[in-house]
Amino acid sequence: MTSPRDLDSDAKRARFEATAVPLMAVLYNAARRLADGPEDAADLVQETYLRAYRTFDSFQAGTNCKAWLLTIMYSVFINEYRRRKRRGPTVSLDDLEQRFQHHLEVTSDAEASAMTVAAWGARLSPEVDAALKQLTPEYRGPVVLIDLAGLSYDEAAGALQCPVGTVRSRLYRGRRALFAALQEYAAETGFFRGEG
Amino acid sequence: MMPPETHLGEVLQDLLDGRLGDAERSRAEVHLAGCTRCRRELEALRWVKTDVLRSTGDEPLPPALAERVRTGLDAVDAESPKPGARPVRPVVRWAVAAGIVAVAALAFMMLRRPSSSLAPDRVAQDFTEVVEGRLPLDTTTSDPPTLESFLNRNGVGFPLRIFDLGMMRYTLVGGRVHKLTNRAGALFVYRGEDDGTLICEMHLATLASMPPAEETRVLNGIQFHIYRRGGTTLVYWQEGGEVCVLVGDAPYETVIELAAAKAVKV
Repeated sequence: MTSPRDLDSDAKRARFEATAVPLMAVLYNAARRLADGPEDAADLVQETYLRAYRTFDSFQAGTNCKAWLLTIMYSVFINEYRRRKRRGPTVSLDDLEQRFQHHLEVTSDAEASAMTVAAWGARLSPEVDAALKQLTPEYRGPVVLIDLAGLSYDEAAGALQCPVGTVRSRLYRGRRALFAALQEYAAETGFFRGEG
Repeated sequence: MMPPETHLGEVLQDLLDGRLGDAERSRAEVHLAGCTRCRRELEALRWVKTDVLRSTGDEPLPPALAERVRTGLDAVDAESPKPGARPVRPVVRWAVAAGIVAVAALAFMMLRRPSSSLAPDRVAQDFTEVVEGRLPLDTTTSDPPTLESFLNRNGVGFPLRIFDLGMMRYTLVGGRVHKLTNRAGALFVYRGEDDGTLICEMHLATLASMPPAEETRVLNGIQFHIYRRGGTTLVYWQEGGEVCVLVGDAPYETVIELAAAKAVKV
């Protein structure tokens, strides 16, 4: 396949429209879980596409365009996050980890087997969104890129610019922290059914 | 209940994500059969991955966003000259021709001097592109020998020495074959505990081809040429036939200390 570097400008734009633009919905959904709100997410997506188009020559045709775009998007996000020195309502990961440990030690088997979010429906729950935002980017990033955007561990490692082992550990801690953040909500809304 | 040190921990996640081989999976399943705590943890992880995250629906794309993006792409296109522009007037053609001759003469003069393609501005640009995710790595690994082997197999034709900066709290992330001169060099990336970035480039070149240094220091018998570009510090030194350059956004003295700690007098 011809490299974008070797295309004239019209052909390059056409190739970009065909390859990258159809992934906008995927990028937007990932951006919604990373950025603070819909407007910030839209800004993040737009900036990602502009940077991607300017550097389309560096994209290797035939490789995973979704992973390439998400790599750029995460970089844009983390640079803006650091620039703004965001200190939103994040919760200490150690606090969440303690709550997770508590769940493992006191939850009955019946409760554990009855967990479900069926009644939450298919739309992004505000509670899930809020719980994700409680995680700092180093733990939110792997969860968003792997569990929501569907990247492999290797692709996420490239996007996050860290070794696969680090991605594995941060994903593990991120999932545990999310569980702890959501568990209280799940219990309050009656998702734990039955007693032992 | 089994003592904590025998629980599966991250292996549960490997099991959930299908990353275990047959033998490892069998061992994990045997453990799970006898460990309530690990079964609870596996169910909790599964609930988060599958019930919570994978089943949440997609937010609809705002209708105006696609148009915003295309307008932005149009603006980028407008920044570049289009083919089929109006014919250039003769006087302009002569001026362009004269300019070409002047550039050719300058290039001839420059060719008589060693190449300065490793100039600080160029390497600082590499650092920016790495930080912004616009310069992809060919491979990700935290193991220096693995990266050395990969880069040598993929065209870097000189002895490589990938530094282990673990004691200085920088973790190797990965690297790429990187051409700034007409031969393949190496670029590798580290991430600090404070999320700072460090890159190192190695190319067949000589320090004599670099622009005059803003500061030079001799440490451990090795001469270092030091530059600043924006918030980054670039430290160059010669090892045999290669120029090594360490670039970082850490404090000035920190980057110099890192270079001095790893440079070898050849």
